[in-house]
Amino acid sequence: MLDILLPTLIFAALALAALGAWRRVRLWRRGRASKVAFLRGLAAMPRRYLVDLHHVVARDKVMANTHVATAGGFVAALGLAVIVHGLGLAEGMLGWLLLAASATMFAGSLFVVRRRRNPPARLSKGPWMRLPKSLMAFSLGIFVVTLPAVGVLPSGFSQGVGGWLVALLLAGVVAWGLAELVVGMTWGGPMKHAFAGALHLAFHRRPERFADTQHGGYPSTGLKALDLDDTEAPLGVGQPTDFTWNQLLGFDACVQCGRCEAVCPAFAAGQPLNPKKLIQDMVVGMAGGSDAGYAGSPYPSQGLEDRPVGEHQGSPHGPIVAPASTKDGKALVDAETLWSCTTCRACVEECPMMIEHVDAIVDMRRHLTLEDGATPGKGAEVIDNLIATDNPGGFDPGGRLNWAADLELPLMADVERAEVLLWLGDGVFDMRNQRTLRALVKVLRAAGVDFAVLGNEERDSGDVARRLGDEATFQSLARRNIATLSQYRFECIVTCDPHSFHVLKNEYGAFYPPGQESSYPVWHHSTFINQLIESGRLRLAPGQASRVTYHDPCYLGRYNGEYEAPRAVLKALGVELVEMQRSGYRSRCCGGGGGAPITDVPGKQRIPDMRMGDVRETQAEQVVVGCPQCTAMFEGVVPPTGDEEVAVKDIAEMVAVALDTTPAATLAPRDASTPQATEEVMS
Amino acid sequence: MQPEVTTMPALEVTVLVSVGRHPLTGRARRADQDARGVELARSLTDAEVRLLHAGERDVSSDAALRGYLGMGFTELSLLEQPEGADVLPALAEILDETSPQLVITGERAERGEGSGLLPYLLAERLGWPLVSGLAAVESVEDGVATLLQALPRGQRRRLKVRLPAIVTVDNAAPTPRQSAYGPARRGTFETTAGPVSDDEEWAAWQVQPARQRPKRLKIVKAASARDRFKAAAAKAEGGGGQVLTDVTPEQGAEAILTLLREEDVLR
Amino acid sequence: MSDLPRRDPRQEWIARNRLHPRHAEVLLAAGQGAASEWQGPNGLVRRNPHAIGFVGPNGVKRIDRSGTQQGAGGGGATTPAAERKPLVEIEAPAFLVAVVPDMAGGRLSGHDRDLLGLARQLADADPVARGAVVAVIFGPHKETSFAEAGVDRLLHLDSPDVAGYAPEARLGALTLVEEAWAPRHWLLPDSKLGGGELGRRLAVRLGERPATSVWQVAADTEAVMGWQCTARGAAGSLDIRRPLSRVALALAECAEPVSETRHAAAELALPQPLPSTLSRIQDLGQVSVDPSGVALSEAEFILSAGNGVKDWPGFHHAAEVLGATEGASRVAVDDGFMARDRQVGATGTWVTARVYVAVGISGAIQHLQGIQTCDKVVAINMDPGCDMIKRADLAVIGDATQILEALVTLVAQAREEKRDAA
Repeated sequence: MLDILLPTLIFAALALAALGAWRRVRLWRRGRASKVAFLRGLAAMPRRYLVDLHHVVARDKVMANTHVATAGGFVAALGLAVIVHGLGLAEGMLGWLLLAASATMFAGSLFVVRRRRNPPARLSKGPWMRLPKSLMAFSLGIFVVTLPAVGVLPSGFSQGVGGWLVALLLAGVVAWGLAELVVGMTWGGPMKHAFAGALHLAFHRRPERFADTQHGGYPSTGLKALDLDDTEAPLGVGQPTDFTWNQLLGFDACVQCGRCEAVCPAFAAGQPLNPKKLIQDMVVGMAGGSDAGYAGSPYPSQGLEDRPVGEHQGSPHGPIVAPASTKDGKALVDAETLWSCTTCRACVEECPMMIEHVDAIVDMRRHLTLEDGATPGKGAEVIDNLIATDNPGGFDPGGRLNWAADLELPLMADVERAEVLLWLGDGVFDMRNQRTLRALVKVLRAAGVDFAVLGNEERDSGDVARRLGDEATFQSLARRNIATLSQYRFECIVTCDPHSFHVLKNEYGAFYPPGQESSYPVWHHSTFINQLIESGRLRLAPGQASRVTYHDPCYLGRYNGEYEAPRAVLKALGVELVEMQRSGYRSRCCGGGGGAPITDVPGKQRIPDMRMGDVRETQAEQVVVGCPQCTAMFEGVVPPTGDEEVAVKDIAEMVAVALDTTPAATLAPRDASTPQATEEVMS
Repeated sequence: MQPEVTTMPALEVTVLVSVGRHPLTGRARRADQDARGVELARSLTDAEVRLLHAGERDVSSDAALRGYLGMGFTELSLLEQPEGADVLPALAEILDETSPQLVITGERAERGEGSGLLPYLLAERLGWPLVSGLAAVESVEDGVATLLQALPRGQRRRLKVRLPAIVTVDNAAPTPRQSAYGPARRGTFETTAGPVSDDEEWAAWQVQPARQRPKRLKIVKAASARDRFKAAAAKAEGGGGQVLTDVTPEQGAEAILTLLREEDVLR
Repeated sequence: MSDLPRRDPRQEWIARNRLHPRHAEVLLAAGQGAASEWQGPNGLVRRNPHAIGFVGPNGVKRIDRSGTQQGAGGGGATTPAAERKPLVEIEAPAFLVAVVPDMAGGRLSGHDRDLLGLARQLADADPVARGAVVAVIFGPHKETSFAEAGVDRLLHLDSPDVAGYAPEARLGALTLVEEAWAPRHWLLPDSKLGGGELGRRLAVRLGERPATSVWQVAADTEAVMGWQCTARGAAGSLDIRRPLSRVALALAECAEPVSETRHAAAELALPQPLPSTLSRIQDLGQVSVDPSGVALSEAEFILSAGNGVKDWPGFHHAAEVLGATEGASRVAVDDGFMARDRQVGATGTWVTARVYVAVGISGAIQHLQGIQTCDKVVAINMDPGCDMIKRADLAVIGDATQILEALVTLVAQAREEKRDAA
């Protein structure tokens, strides 16, 4: 009996799965074309899975082991079951191996059951709640039906009426398992993540993400450029099919583990964004339908109630965000959701499926800005300013160096070559950041660094324009900045703005005229200062006995992997560094990135307030930052009544006050600027 | 208008748009008031809005004019005129031909003479009424438009005007919507050649970048020598404000009230 | 009768001598300043507290500290300062300079006075053939100092046709003036409403190309009218030097206002009545706008609340009484006390108010950036060291609730008195 039923079931399931896979692939193929190295991707897939993916999963040891046991057991059990039961080849070790595999899987599934007993809020419920049972059904069913094959049970146990019933029962259990784990994999069940996830890893839109870690580099984080010369290509993503096919595939890979939700600053602040829900909405849009089936945390809303599910719906060719002219204004996603993102990449960093949330959000923002002209808040004004004055504040571009009138900064236009090009950024117009810049200049002079600035030739790096979706303005700024940079000779660029740093380092490469490329390293000032200290060019007088904590700016840390240099500098300063609970790659955003302060989507609380709460928990006297945005956001926080205000200091300011001013510095005058530098220091 | 016309045809609106100039950088852009005019036109229900520009077309003006297209238009009518030409005859001719119900313009151009005379000249030439400084168009019914004119301090005056009419918009008119790159890139220019007439007077004038106007000095007309001496010896004003510490609330309020009276903001 | 003041040493001596029997009488007659105050021989101001006040109509002594009603009982013995200026009369003017002041609020504005000053400059250029300045006034007004402002002839057109917003009727009237007297110059203030509009209409009707935004006029014999002017063009970014046209629209401070002389301001009448024109523009009157609802960027007077405000109903009441537009700092908005569109600052609205009153706002940089262009900033704060105090033109350190209350009381009182007086 079973020897007829089992092969039928297995092959029927496989056939159904194949059919489902074909349908699913067709859904993905509705997306736009994207160049992918198919074979190389497939070949690299196991490595990407075993190394890169598990590197992320292993941050939670228990879950990692559970997944290894369950998934490994399942893959082995399914493969062996096809051979043993499907093809009837139970000879020798195979049956025993199958038993071992299904037993391992069963053990894993017990952990899954335990986790599902009292699941954390970030996990999706709904069909996911039945997954542990399905896992147990499959593993148990396979285990039992394999027993006769290895001779533990007599092969004739299913004879007779009772045996028939047992056989039917077993077949039913196996069928349930197969339906969930094999058919469900391609027909949209929870196991979809395995099928889509594997292919997503193979055909990932950023293959360099995986390659780079191997070579000690850092994953690619720069946004992909929009080809504005191609008038046929859509400007950003206005409907689900405007995504590339491998982006759609990536959304389908989501396992709804909610790690993104747990780290998202906007979600925590009660802004209407939940990265997990957003990705699920994209899946809904790709397949068509409403989001009523979603069983995780919804988007928060300002009121007490969260936004209900079921009100939004979409279709592959329908709009993602309802155009302003429609009355009820509901489509797949509300515009506010997209504008809540600070592009801090915490979700991408945490995602075990390597989904690129930020890329998707910026793609959709591009459509809103470039096609609909619907940048909210002060966004439109900022973009207009960038177009007209090359800085977001609308300040006179001829006054970029007004703050430094007394510093006599050497201009690139005059000196034409220098060791360091100091990229000042738009902080030149901000009175707070001018203090940081002054400190940095003082440090550079104390170290005798030969530097020069672009002065009025500098423009905004284009970071804000790009995150607000205005690719056209970004590219215009980028091309003009590149043209300016290519006029001068310098060994490296140093900037104290991580946003400019990231854009200059990672995003300008695509806009060099053919035949040219960027030939200089870009350093954040913390890295550069650390180099100066290590090479002995900068002498510090340690002994600042203060308790500080360090906030990792997103664009320095997660985007560029620089966690060590600022800490090394603080160590050299001899201050006591206490880490916040969320620091390093898990650092929480200050709320200042991605144009979030400009679009200003209301929430239940503000992101910088939460972060300053983190700072206060460490009982540090000062919080050290390395980003003008973070400084501005933190200084805007009003301390709760009764609390001392925590000083916000840029790392350059910390170094500037600790400079060793003993005459040793003047013993080796490098050039004429040194006496002036000491004078600076003394004053 | 005849009463039997019950089904109103779409209101034909022409917005005259010009190439603006950013006050700080001098770059070409959509002129602020013209953009507000376009926004005003877009907010009218059942309006068929047409953009009209008379002037030269070159690289910078092209980008600026596309700024208007980016507000959601597919085309812009362009009357090609050489630089420095008097655009009035060409505009008057085309408006006479197309006879829109409502013509919306900004108050003054941001380039050239910027005398703000054009709407008045057009109104006189076409014999249409003109209303200046609009904040909003409330309604258009039976050939009569109800308008809100902007007065200082955010005040408004309601006016009725018989169409066809020319209106100019104030800075209090709604902020123009963002100009989107996509529609701006796709929009087309429908170019027509109009009659060209030179502006000889303009060519004869001396034009130079504006220089700072001298600050008016406070002239003390003192009757006695003592007053004159006092005025001459008076401490120069400025340099930090007055800080009142340790005063009663009443004294503080008194000081504030004096300032409010001086500035004449109390009514 | 000469207008020159004559000194009488004896009278002055009596005025100084408090014990002189005629002391009070002389003081009253002297009338310069308050009778209870006089200048001592060393320049010190002497004050006699007994002499303060006057006896009111009911026989009760009244004290008015504002000094305006001082010595009303003294009768016409006092000579207003204005009347001591030399009177200039032009009987047979060689030409006319027509000025159409805006008369905002029924009075000559500073802009109008500057314009009249310019008109005088044009009229008095040739001492042999002096012109006369004609001011054309529409509608009811409250102005009494036309003579001091330099008006030789006053044409007051007060018919319901030209009241309110009636550009077409006013244009008709000006056309009549043109026909009747053909002034050599037409000067109008280049203001937003009023002169700026009327002047353009007039120029177009007269077929003249007006000089607009004129800010400087200088004699130039080669120019057509004998004058060269400098005008702003291209949104204030260009200076255009051109001959002065017949119709000129001038900016504020285009000339010094008249201050030395007095003029006749003789009433003039149109030779024919105003034609009644059928206006195509109908004025439905001013729409009442709630000051608190005015857009922040347009508001002229803003009362802004920050973290230091504890009594919110009191704050709203104060804004209502003062007629101020409400603003808020970011914190006040975040805490939900004020609406998002009320936020002032770099992340909210950049405001351009004439007076900005910051109540309990410490002055974050973003906020200070947003109020950069405000003329006068008043700060009410507990903390004397905060940044807002440094920015403020007037800072009052103290409890915001009490100060606002006191301010509301004062304003209400002042209104009450005004109503009683009227």
